[in-house]
Amino acid sequence: MGEAAIQVQGIRYSYGGQRAVDDVDFHIERSEILGFLGPNGAGKSTTIKMLTGQLRPQAGSISILGMSMPQQAEQIQGRIGVAFEEKNLYTNMSARENLVFFGRLFGIGDLDADELLARVDLADRGRDRVAEFSKGMRQRLMIARALVNTPDVLFLDEPTDGLDPVSSQAIREVIRQEAARGAAVLLTTHDMNEADKLSDRVAFINEGHVLVIDTPENLKIAHGKRSVRVRARHDGSVVETIIPLDEPGADERVKQAVGDRELLTIHTQEATLEDIFIQFAGRGLGA
Amino acid sequence: MISLRIVWAIIRKDIAEMTRNKFFVYITILGLIAYVALFWALPSTVNETLKLGVRGTGADALISQMAGEEGLELTSFDSVDALEAAVESGAITAGIDFPDDFLDSITAGTTTTVSVYVPADTSAEVRTAVSGMVKELAFIVAGSSLPVTPPAEDEIVLGQDRAGDQIPFKDKLRPLLAIFLLMMEMMSLASLIAEEIRSKTVTAVLVTPTRTSDFLAAKTILGTGLAFAEVALLMAAIRAFSTEPLVLLVALLLAALLVTGLALLAGSTGRDFIEILLVSVFLLVPLMIPAGAALFPGTAATWIQVLPSYGMTQAIVRASAYGAGWAETVPYLLMTIGWCAVIFALGVLVLRRKVETL
Repeated sequence: MGEAAIQVQGIRYSYGGQRAVDDVDFHIERSEILGFLGPNGAGKSTTIKMLTGQLRPQAGSISILGMSMPQQAEQIQGRIGVAFEEKNLYTNMSARENLVFFGRLFGIGDLDADELLARVDLADRGRDRVAEFSKGMRQRLMIARALVNTPDVLFLDEPTDGLDPVSSQAIREVIRQEAARGAAVLLTTHDMNEADKLSDRVAFINEGHVLVIDTPENLKIAHGKRSVRVRARHDGSVVETIIPLDEPGADERVKQAVGDRELLTIHTQEATLEDIFIQFAGRGLGA
Repeated sequence: MISLRIVWAIIRKDIAEMTRNKFFVYITILGLIAYVALFWALPSTVNETLKLGVRGTGADALISQMAGEEGLELTSFDSVDALEAAVESGAITAGIDFPDDFLDSITAGTTTTVSVYVPADTSAEVRTAVSGMVKELAFIVAGSSLPVTPPAEDEIVLGQDRAGDQIPFKDKLRPLLAIFLLMMEMMSLASLIAEEIRSKTVTAVLVTPTRTSDFLAAKTILGTGLAFAEVALLMAAIRAFSTEPLVLLVALLLAALLVTGLALLAGSTGRDFIEILLVSVFLLVPLMIPAGAALFPGTAATWIQVLPSYGMTQAIVRASAYGAGWAETVPYLLMTIGWCAVIFALGVLVLRRKVETL
């Protein structure tokens, strides 16, 4: 495996006496999507601000695409794309003008704004003022803006926030395409389901600390409680049995539950990322 | 290091945004038209003749004796009622009523009273001047002369003698019109900056290869350029460039830079249009005082002379109305450069801090 697209070691940041990020380490490979999960105030935004050059870390080091942040901020910022949670678009300008302006900031004079707009399903709204856009349309434009410079690293803060399920799916597809193209993606979200579907790995962050980083599958296997729910007819009545698979003798109990009964339904139950987050953080994402 | 490519991109974007803000577009155009119309509606000549009405003993003799006196026009009235009516209508500045026993009293060496009629809104200075003139006229009516030996020279004039060549009021109004227009421009730029901060679009800009210095340079160039272009257009329309155009252009450029510095400050501190308006008024009212004082030469108190716009105002008035060249205006231009440096540095510092801590 080559050099990581993002390598973060021991970064810290405090606002006054309040420690927002404390000794955070992680890395993201090229073509990898890392989901950054945590409740409000966990340190996600501060971490992204340090990674994108908005804040200078008070300790530790950040390497992006082999360059140091913030020492080489200008070169790094030419190769990253950022979609903020706040829809900070120029609302008196059209969608197309927004993209063309940001293209110029990256030195792209011949930006194919229409192609970008088409990718986020806004091809027919390019000449409309952003002020007339719905929240979902603004969110899609934010994603398009983050892709203006064909970035090698993408920072996406709540990328599907406010989108309907169809639009969310379309945006997830765009993110997967970007990762497949080779971009490293750091995505923050409150939506565990989205993180599960989209991320190659997830990092749980709480109170400024990264609690764990692994693939969703590994986290569920290692820390989740699996069970089987069996519904069967026995002596004319329906009997439901829930059997934890992580306890000794689980195989036998499943066989007994099915036995010579008339099997009606059988469901496997897996822990969700939210369940595992609660195990680590002692609270949910909404807390 | 500032990137000219990025600065130009931001300026293009800002111009597009500004031209879509209909309020500022209309108010700038309408303001420009109104200021030009006001200037040309004001009289171009100066009439400083004092019109006095006289009634009573010796009035006709007085009038014939004073005929041809420069700056004084005497009219005889038959009755006190007619004299009062002329004062009230504004036909004369003041009316003087010599009592019928005036000459007898003078001859007898007794005290007598001369009535002076002035409109209610007459200033204290004019009243004092008229009272002094009444004493002189009373001597003439009594057939005496003032107990003062006339000086060998009429008067000693300091500076260029403008007797008979006074500056029309409207020419002294130019700096005030310029500041009104610059105020609009300042509010327009301040609103643009405040909106970028409020909506955090500046944050999106600053995670591209754009540096804070690029952002500040773009705002400075745009603000100064627009303010200078507008105020230069106004000055051209009110015929201010007929004398010393280069001095005036430099003064206007400094004025544009000064208000741009203020716009950076106002934009950093205001969050919406109302706040921008309040901050702008707070910053601009002191700037108007020297321009107002320029309408009445010699009235600028010391504290007015230390206000940031004093040098600029003096340079504009002196270059455009009095034809003053570099030698006379350099001290005022240097004063303005000093203030520009202070205000601009403060504006840049505050705005930089604001955008970098969003």
